[in-house]
Amino acid sequence: MKKHFMAKCYPILSVLLLTGFITHAQGSGPGVRGARAAALGHASVTLNDVWAVGNNAAGLGQLSAPTAAVYAENRYLLSALNTVALAVAAPLGKVENGLARRGVVGVEVQRFGGKLYSEQRIGAGYGYRGGLVSIGARVDLLQLSIEGLGSRRAVAVSLGGQAELVPKRLVFGAYLYNLNQAKLAEYQQERVPTVLKAGLSYRPTAKVMLNIETEKEVEQSADFKAGVEYRVIDALALRAGLRTLTEETTGGLGFRAGALQIDYAAAWHAALGLSQHLSIGLSFNAKQP
Amino acid sequence: MLAAGTAQAQEYVRPTPDLDRLTQELFAEIQSDQVPSEDLYETLLQYYQTPISLNTATREDLRGLLLLSENQISQLLTYRQQRGPLLSLYELQAVPGFDLRTIYRAAPFVTVQTAGGTNGLRGPLWQRVFKEDNNALFLRYERVLQTRTGYTAAPLDSLGRGPTRYLGSPDKLLLRYRVSHAKDFSLGVTAEKDAGEQLAWNPKGRQYGADFLSAHFVVQERGKLKTLAVGDYQLQFGQGLLLSSGLQVGKGAETITTLRRSSIGVRPYSSILESTFFRGAAATVEVTPTVRATAFVSRKRVDANVQLAADSLAEFDEFSSGFLLTGFHRTPSERANRQTLRETVAGGNLSYTSRSGHLAAGLTAVDTHFDKAIQRRPELYNQYEFRGTHNLALGAHYTYVRGNVLVFGETARSSSGGWGTVNGLLASLAPTVDVSALVRHYTRDFHTLYGNALSENTRNINESGLYLGLKVRPVARWEVSAYYDQFWFPWLKYDVGAPSRGHDWLTRITYAPTKTSLLYAQLRTRQKAYNPSSDQPIPQPEPTTRHSVLLYYDANPTPTLGLRTRVQGSRYRATDASPWQRGYVLAQDASVAVGRRLRLTARYALFDTDSYDTRQYVFEQDVLYAFSVPALSGQGTRVYGIAEISCTRQLTLWLRLAETHYRHQTTVGSGLEEIQGPRRTEFKAQARYRF
Repeated sequence: MKKHFMAKCYPILSVLLLTGFITHAQGSGPGVRGARAAALGHASVTLNDVWAVGNNAAGLGQLSAPTAAVYAENRYLLSALNTVALAVAAPLGKVENGLARRGVVGVEVQRFGGKLYSEQRIGAGYGYRGGLVSIGARVDLLQLSIEGLGSRRAVAVSLGGQAELVPKRLVFGAYLYNLNQAKLAEYQQERVPTVLKAGLSYRPTAKVMLNIETEKEVEQSADFKAGVEYRVIDALALRAGLRTLTEETTGGLGFRAGALQIDYAAAWHAALGLSQHLSIGLSFNAKQP
Repeated sequence: MLAAGTAQAQEYVRPTPDLDRLTQELFAEIQSDQVPSEDLYETLLQYYQTPISLNTATREDLRGLLLLSENQISQLLTYRQQRGPLLSLYELQAVPGFDLRTIYRAAPFVTVQTAGGTNGLRGPLWQRVFKEDNNALFLRYERVLQTRTGYTAAPLDSLGRGPTRYLGSPDKLLLRYRVSHAKDFSLGVTAEKDAGEQLAWNPKGRQYGADFLSAHFVVQERGKLKTLAVGDYQLQFGQGLLLSSGLQVGKGAETITTLRRSSIGVRPYSSILESTFFRGAAATVEVTPTVRATAFVSRKRVDANVQLAADSLAEFDEFSSGFLLTGFHRTPSERANRQTLRETVAGGNLSYTSRSGHLAAGLTAVDTHFDKAIQRRPELYNQYEFRGTHNLALGAHYTYVRGNVLVFGETARSSSGGWGTVNGLLASLAPTVDVSALVRHYTRDFHTLYGNALSENTRNINESGLYLGLKVRPVARWEVSAYYDQFWFPWLKYDVGAPSRGHDWLTRITYAPTKTSLLYAQLRTRQKAYNPSSDQPIPQPEPTTRHSVLLYYDANPTPTLGLRTRVQGSRYRATDASPWQRGYVLAQDASVAVGRRLRLTARYALFDTDSYDTRQYVFEQDVLYAFSVPALSGQGTRVYGIAEISCTRQLTLWLRLAETHYRHQTTVGSGLEEIQGPRRTEFKAQARYRF
């Protein structure tokens, strides 16, 4: 049964190839989570919001209240390229000085694709922060389905770390996705992509954040990403970013109102056009400041 | 006793050297497979093994550290003269010109402990050797876990002959013992067997167990007798044009202090590089307080490919087409070349150092004799190479420092009539600005067999060049260093069918946000001519261009955790018309101290290169004093883990497992080194016992 898993899916494959999407999420890459990360040109390895569960599990460690969020993404106005995700994260044990004593767990369910080709995943992540350093890990259960060809499952293990080099000013992050190099099919050694990303975030004031990041998948060219966030007022943030590999420029907005966080991002690909990202999060903190 | 006890207690506890960081800061990125770089680094790190005493070190000793600027050395010597010996390393903070970064960098390699003059007060020599703390026995084992072609059984044909196979086991073994005290003595024994070599007792074949054996005994500071070395030793005088001991770091990111070589004279040899040392005796005597004389004699057998002349009219009946420097004796043909040439070297150095230490000058002579003639293959590019059985090289060197300017140089001539000269200048224009310049010229028939002054070629021949260096610290925590080097090759070279030229430049911007973190970005470009691959009757070399970029980050966010990230990439094209080829590596390291006895280090790296031309050399951490710089090409992952276990006060263990996993490959390596399958896994274990 050494049959190429994707053999008869040329229509879908060609769409995937065309979109350049394949460079990022081919056969279940790490992808991007949350419209905030999308607006920053995917330079998200140093972020620590609830979507850290997918962007870099180490960032979960800084979460101080239970949080739930939903995310929807549409690429190039094609419904076959939709992604939806739901994430829930909660601190374990007591929270002291805004830090969970025993770390934070997060769970995420995600679905990408349409009727002909789809990817589903359930991921469980854990992040712990001690001093100026956070570490995190995540396990993904992936399923790829192609209509008429059935489906394949794989387990991917990921590790992440974040460290404040200069407290609150300069943050480093690194994330290794699928370190076990999980195999999808014997034919041509088809594997879940192994991706390593590393980046720096410079935060000269509480309002400004500049991120740079490099990302490498073993079989794809290296990607360089940069993003900037400016918090105009406490309730509103403006964001912009770019990615060199897919030649996309991104922009977005973020609103914060009490426990509610709404982010929107739009990305422009020179050849393929518009992608849109929307995420809504709710933080269940009894004493909201 | 009590007084001694308190003096001891005040001494700053010498931190363990971060050799990996030192490598990052000093060494050039590797450019070729020709040089056994891993062993070269080991030689240099062995040098740092014996800490030098800040209270007795001469200007030349301090320069040899490569970590202090000329200005800092002058300030330290003045301070020592005015206030007497330093009582503790903490006192360095009071010496003008010493910033914290310099002190942290130098601290693992220096000490302020008692001066050399009191050697006699510590008891007779045998007792001092016996009681010395700085001693260690190393035992290292190394093996590739997969089976390689060279170790498989090969089918024999009807005549009982088969394809070449390695004679020995795939295990690599190293045993080394060394005890030393700066300015007093050094005693060491080394035995090594490379993978594929045999362990055999065969006095006829000059093999006594391990394939490579080395030993030395050196005493220093015995009144007028400054140094006496018996066994294996190295020599370095002047700018290393005639005698260089493997302490060169080449063109790298340190553009000032490593440009000038130090006349460190005779030094013990305990490394495993099988070709860069002398075997015999050497002595340095103080003739007057300002004049020192060194004499040495060495006789050893070296590997060479010896042939008999087929033509009765040939110049030599028996000759060698060249030295073999790899030190491998694994196959019957490699064994046949083992120690076939006898080399006898004698020479000396006479040097004068003014009372102030500002002026130093000297003369060097090296006379070499081989028992069989050297005659390289009759190719046009070998036209002016050394031939025959005898070479005498004579040279003169000088150094002069005045104020903030240091000039230095060396000029030498070989019996062929060829000559070489290297002259340089280091200047501190301001406390934050240092510049350097170096001019070199080695004629096409200049033969220096043990020299290794700065050059683009691996040997000092057929080259002229101009090097300019700069180091600026514009604001605190930031440093910019750069060099530009232009070179000409007036005669042909291997794979270069015409006179050629090229250039090379590097810029590095370093930012040290805190005492324990370091970030840098480095750009380098090299343009050099090579014959194009197309078969033309008369090859016209074309300039090849290589750009490389390196981003590096190293921090210890907590005392127990270390993080390192390395992003490096390069692009290369063979001619101006050919397309760019690219290579890229992203590596993430983490190291954690678990309790007091265990330290774990791991790396995960992804690499992707278009071709072998864009292969990436990536520094890796290894067991203590070992180095690993694999060349990664193709696509895949490189992972390693190291455990350092301090079992007892005497015993430390290192275990290392590294694996390269290639994508889309069914074999790894070629020839006898070929592995079936996409993985290559290396295991290494080392034990250190201190008596």
